[in-house]
Amino acid sequence: MFHRLLIANRGEVATRVARACRSLGISPIGVASEADIGAAWTLEMDEVVCIGPGAPSDSYLQGKRILQAAKQTRSTAIHPGWGFLAENAGFAALCRSHGVTFVGPAPELMARMGLKSPAKAAMRAAGLPVIPGSDGPLADAEDAARVAEQVGFPVILKADAGGGGRGMRLCHNISDVRDAFSLCASEALSNFGSASVYLEKYLTGGRHIEVQVLVDNYGNAVHLGERECSVQRRHQKLTEESPSPALTPKEREQLGALAAAASVRVGYTGAGTIEFLRASPNESVGAGELYFMEMNTRLQVEHPVSEMVTGIDLAAWQIRIAAGEPLDFRQSDIRFRGHAVEARINAEDPTQNFRPAPGTLSKFSFDLNAGPGKLRLDTHLKQGETVPPHYDSLLGKLIAWGETRDEAIETLLAGLASARVEGLPTTISLHQSVLQSAAFQSGEYDTSSIPGWPPVAAKR
Amino acid sequence: MAHVPLTPIGMDLGHVVDATSAQKRRTVLEQRESVLRERRAIVEAGWGEKYVDRVHAKGKLTTRERLDLLVDKDTRLFEVGTFVNWGRKFGKVESPGAGVVTVFAQIEGRWTIVIANDNTVASGSWWPRSPEKIERAQEIALKLKLPVVYLVDCSGLYLPEQGLSFPGRTGAGHIFKKNSQLSDAGVPQIAGVFGDCIAGGGYMPIISDRVYMTEIAYMVIAGAALIKGAKSLSLSSLDIGGPEVHVHQSGCADVRVPDDRAAIACIRTEIAGTGSSSKVFYRFGAGPLEPGFPAEDLEALVPTDHRMSYSAEEVLARLTDGSLFWEILPERGKEMMVGVGRVNGLYMGFIINRQGIVDDPEHHSAKKPAGILYKEGIAKTAAFSRACDADGIPIVWLQDVSGFDIGVEAEQLGLLGYGSSLIYTNSTNSVPMFTVLLRKASGAGYYAMAGHPYEPVVQLSTSITRQAVMEGRTLAIAAFNTKLDDDFNIASTDPEEIAKIEAGMASTEARIEEDMDPFRAAAQMDTDEIVPLADLRAWTEVFAETSYQALGTRRVKNPRIWSLHDIAALSEPRG
Repeated sequence: MFHRLLIANRGEVATRVARACRSLGISPIGVASEADIGAAWTLEMDEVVCIGPGAPSDSYLQGKRILQAAKQTRSTAIHPGWGFLAENAGFAALCRSHGVTFVGPAPELMARMGLKSPAKAAMRAAGLPVIPGSDGPLADAEDAARVAEQVGFPVILKADAGGGGRGMRLCHNISDVRDAFSLCASEALSNFGSASVYLEKYLTGGRHIEVQVLVDNYGNAVHLGERECSVQRRHQKLTEESPSPALTPKEREQLGALAAAASVRVGYTGAGTIEFLRASPNESVGAGELYFMEMNTRLQVEHPVSEMVTGIDLAAWQIRIAAGEPLDFRQSDIRFRGHAVEARINAEDPTQNFRPAPGTLSKFSFDLNAGPGKLRLDTHLKQGETVPPHYDSLLGKLIAWGETRDEAIETLLAGLASARVEGLPTTISLHQSVLQSAAFQSGEYDTSSIPGWPPVAAKR
Repeated sequence: MAHVPLTPIGMDLGHVVDATSAQKRRTVLEQRESVLRERRAIVEAGWGEKYVDRVHAKGKLTTRERLDLLVDKDTRLFEVGTFVNWGRKFGKVESPGAGVVTVFAQIEGRWTIVIANDNTVASGSWWPRSPEKIERAQEIALKLKLPVVYLVDCSGLYLPEQGLSFPGRTGAGHIFKKNSQLSDAGVPQIAGVFGDCIAGGGYMPIISDRVYMTEIAYMVIAGAALIKGAKSLSLSSLDIGGPEVHVHQSGCADVRVPDDRAAIACIRTEIAGTGSSSKVFYRFGAGPLEPGFPAEDLEALVPTDHRMSYSAEEVLARLTDGSLFWEILPERGKEMMVGVGRVNGLYMGFIINRQGIVDDPEHHSAKKPAGILYKEGIAKTAAFSRACDADGIPIVWLQDVSGFDIGVEAEQLGLLGYGSSLIYTNSTNSVPMFTVLLRKASGAGYYAMAGHPYEPVVQLSTSITRQAVMEGRTLAIAAFNTKLDDDFNIASTDPEEIAKIEAGMASTEARIEEDMDPFRAAAQMDTDEIVPLADLRAWTEVFAETSYQALGTRRVKNPRIWSLHDIAALSEPRG
């Protein structure tokens, strides 16, 4: 096993990975920007290397500096966490060529999964259903029009290298497609460095259901069930749960097995997440179908809900797999027990259009014995700490586990009620509204709107 | 004639040997082959249970266990050099198999050579002849272009005997030269480092293309014991040269793996990435076929008494697919039988001594004893050997030969010259040649028929093989020549002197008999392996499949353009 592992990240994920390191007897080594020097989370590391000014582009995105930090601290592996360099195939290749193990899949695989149409083609070949559309990039506007006719309107044109909702054009008819094609291609070229554009059927609403997989270097793969992440605000997940209330046990088993097998077929290794869209029941074609959307080649923010229902430490297994350990359990050994719900607590003001609000946490406490079930708090912050303005606004994640979904929701509500967070606005009130809403409690919700938000009173 | 006119050979055993004789022969042979099995088991046991437990206590697998995991299920190992150092003492201890296991093994459907330090024998250290045994296996791999797997677990030279294994031409360092030559020839080499790899043990894996290290493995030029100040810093050899250093910092190894099992799984995957076997292509449309008669028949066919004869044709009928054979120049030099048969669908050339009495071409309707090389047989063998080389047909030499013909006529016919031509041919052939010493391997016959000094890829002995310049009786005659008359009877009338000469000749004969023990030859690497007679078909399959595995590394002509057809055309009777 690695003796020293460098965590190329900050904040909550850095503490999470450090904890996994400790459990494996590995010495965690940190990197920090000038803005993060002295932060509580950095004290959990055995050594910390300062890698530059606060702006991420000057520090946490500086792959060469991070590699240098690993070499000078004699770290033999790098865990990228999530965000920053976590899905940067170039960085993974850089690490590999310098003898530092990148905790994640091979750079080639990351590169393939990072591009929309190759990922889609690979997963279709591996047996996953994909949203009807073009086989890879389109040749020209006529090609686009032809495919659009085949799959039926509305369709969406997307940049192959795009992401985050950018580089997309919605088209309702054939002339829309012809008009939008060249515009979309030139935008793709200027924004993402590639003019490749593909087209697929546009689905509205639907549910975001993702499957967690673990694959070792020896072709053994398991799935840890699915997570339901349909409570979203502009593609940002807010509340997640496992299992999904939308799947039957049989569907769960089939989808999980399919995802695990597909991961092996594409050559994936480590912890990964395959995201699916369950088409809305109102779709004219393919209503209720599950379609592959993308594969995230890293640890996910919402991974704790899967850990809570399976008892498997995903972060530790990522590292163990990177060190060549084979999985020491099989699918049949995994017992899914109870239900877990997670609330991402951000320093944002939900009543002010979720404006991020950095500042100092004058109070920050939770009663983790509040509910009938179990509570887990994943955070990197201590009372009295200042949240720097340069980074995302996550304060922590409160995760509740119960024998039943109702018990998990009740526990999370109790945990949120026990929160004493002062000095900053938070999204706690949003989560309370969501969890108490009839839509969430019934399990009948999708990505088109946030259940229970805005609250009825605020709507007036 | 572009067809390869294979025709049926052989008869059921019952037509060749009566049941009683067959049973008797099997019984006599079994006495020898049971010894072979026992001794093989002794070597396989290494230094025994205590050392196996010691290996397990370290969380490691024994070398034999690693091999079991490494090779394809339901395949067997074909070991070479099993009896190197057999019976040799170093102080109070012995070194079973010279502390290293070298085998032909199938991994992911490909033949490989695996070289594995025996970690139950002095922690896998290198004894006198361990380097030579390793180098021999490397040579085999180089000739056949077979991927090499090193399972390294070697604490360096066995130091009390370093004078015998360090400085010579084939001393331990020559292993690394062979590593380099394999690399130079494009032969894939993959190493798993499983434990202590000190000094030479540390160098050995490095030239390999891929190096896997387990978490408890280390490679060091010198261990902590020799590092000044290591004690006060509590530095271990693992700190100095473990995976933490070599995989991540020095780059001397590629991948770290938790344990033996994981390393072996990775090595299998690496082998899967090398070229797959071309044997299907080189079968030229045929499939593998069992011989028409079982290989076990050989136990009853070949008498253990070297003075008794048997049918060479019947032997070949037990080695070739469907017992089909194309004999070349059947009417000439009948003391030799040469031709082509298929083995697992692959064409192989066979050269075998006939036994018993054959026609004497020099004297009309006269006969002469076979098992000896005469002018026509030598010329036929040389021409066939050269043609096989030209056509890319690997050759299996099956020796049971007393030597060259001797005497006035032999010299006048120029046997020295014909013999030299054969020796030149065999020395310069590039096609893979394999030699089996069925029984006698005597005199210049042993040399001329591609015996060990002519570097066949592999040379096998059987439990009844006798390697010597001449038989003990002949040697005694030579040694006591001055005391013997024209008919080799003792030329004395003094009973005391007669008794003395008789005793002297008997003791000479006995000593030669002892020298001819195949275990003696195997111990000093004068043969590669001793195998049961019934195993010869299986070994011949190994020869064929390994010769045809690599694509594009040697000349393999399709049978339409074989030069053998030219020889056959010119030797067919006219009209």
